[in-house]
Amino acid sequence: MNRGPYLFLGVFCAMALSWVGLILQPQLQIGWGRQETNVLNTLELYPQARPGLAQQGLQVYRSLGCATCHSRQIRQTGASFDVGLTGAGTNVPELVQAILKVKPDLTPAQATQQAERLPAILVASVDKATADAAVTNLSVGGAKAVANLVALGPDIARGWGSGRSVAADYLFEQPALLGSQRVGPDLANVGLRMPGRAWHFLHLYDPRAVVPGSVMPPYRFLFEARKVGAKPSPEVLRLSGPTPKFDAGGTRTNWTTPESIQLTAAAAPPSGFEIVPTDDAQALVAYLLSLRTDVPLFERPLSAALAPPGAGTTNVVVTPAPAPAPTPAPAP
Amino acid sequence: MKPERIASLPASPAEPTAGAVPAPVWLFVAMGLLAFWSLHFLEADAGGFSHKVYRPYTSLASIEALQPKSEGDVMFASGQRVFTIYCTVCHQPTGQGLPNQFPPLAASEWVAAPSPNRIIRLVLDGIQGPITVKGVGFNGAMPPWRELLKDEEIAAVLTYVRGNQNWGNSAPPVTPEQVKAIRDKVAARSAWLPDELLKVAETE
Repeated sequence: MNRGPYLFLGVFCAMALSWVGLILQPQLQIGWGRQETNVLNTLELYPQARPGLAQQGLQVYRSLGCATCHSRQIRQTGASFDVGLTGAGTNVPELVQAILKVKPDLTPAQATQQAERLPAILVASVDKATADAAVTNLSVGGAKAVANLVALGPDIARGWGSGRSVAADYLFEQPALLGSQRVGPDLANVGLRMPGRAWHFLHLYDPRAVVPGSVMPPYRFLFEARKVGAKPSPEVLRLSGPTPKFDAGGTRTNWTTPESIQLTAAAAPPSGFEIVPTDDAQALVAYLLSLRTDVPLFERPLSAALAPPGAGTTNVVVTPAPAPAPTPAPAP
Repeated sequence: MKPERIASLPASPAEPTAGAVPAPVWLFVAMGLLAFWSLHFLEADAGGFSHKVYRPYTSLASIEALQPKSEGDVMFASGQRVFTIYCTVCHQPTGQGLPNQFPPLAASEWVAAPSPNRIIRLVLDGIQGPITVKGVGFNGAMPPWRELLKDEEIAAVLTYVRGNQNWGNSAPPVTPEQVKAIRDKVAARSAWLPDELLKVAETE
């Protein structure tokens, strides 16, 4: 052991290098992150700090171990482009010629039809150079063409989001619950793809009632059974159909009778009781609804939805959820 | 028993020492190749160590190329939001205003002027008094927005109002620099009178 100092130096350098690479450098890069500017709506900063209830919901999410089975990170493997035509301009014959140039397989009659039905996607899944060339070709006589970016990847194909997760998404997460396993679907963008508050309550109470074959455990302890009163409690689970039914004594019977939604046997409340979410459930659902990552940032380029100019202020492409989200019956 | 005196201990083996064995040449070659490959990988894939570059993108330039193209479109979308918040109460979502109360913005000659010279002043400091828009007289007051709206917001809302083809307007966009120039040039003042505003040069 006559080389002790050398050994010490070697070990020290190895540890110091890993510390610099794994801790110091990431901290310098993204550790002091700020709110980013939404590139499509430049007045909007992202992410917004959560309201208080949703902030509490993060702790509920954490304490229930949701992150054990749900990841919160969307991956992206590439990007392709769709060329859309949004405005026909004034010179339609010239536009038809341009469409024929971009899509040689069309007949002139089909191209004319194409020029009339706007907005429309003309060319799908091409690379950037091809898309830019097509846009240049189509921009004749005041016609408006756009090249829309479409993110690619298995997570995006599943409808979990329209672009990848970036560091800015976790700015207000303390701690950041990224998750590492996908027993259930990814929740990074769940607030946009599943916006129904009532649906979330019902799903937490009895997952298999709304998603057949779900492996999620029911979180019934987040709810309490209350005796049915003259009026339903706020946020009461709508388990019954719209027509109220009363027994001989004038007490409503069908709030708790599963009619439109087939609850599993264990979930059905005792007769004469209604199911009401507790504060924890309210907070958790508020938190879930605040998880929205489909915001176009510089580091996450996304295109505006293909819609006529001035049609709406929503610039984000909202992908419909893969699982059907049955709407609970309306309030009786 | 009396301990026996030992005359001499047997010689213990010498403590081992690490000798100076030269490292094999192939190790240096392998390390050199590894270093070359990793530097090449970093050069091609690390995105210049920028925190704005994520997979699958590999460089800042490639991301910049993917940003929404026309700045006018971005301003237009922002402007629509500003308009909805601050302007629709009087000028209505349709931009038609209210008869006898608030002048229309749609196809208004005040809005559609080629240069935004006057309309920026009008939005910054407000206007009051008798004004003729599209041949119809109005007599009201518009509040100043100098303190409330930022340069970017005024530019965005004017871009939206001036370029809104649904309203029949097609004037060129307004940039935040134009708003800033006029904000710096004209000190905060009471509301403009229409006649005063007409004396401002159409172009500068």
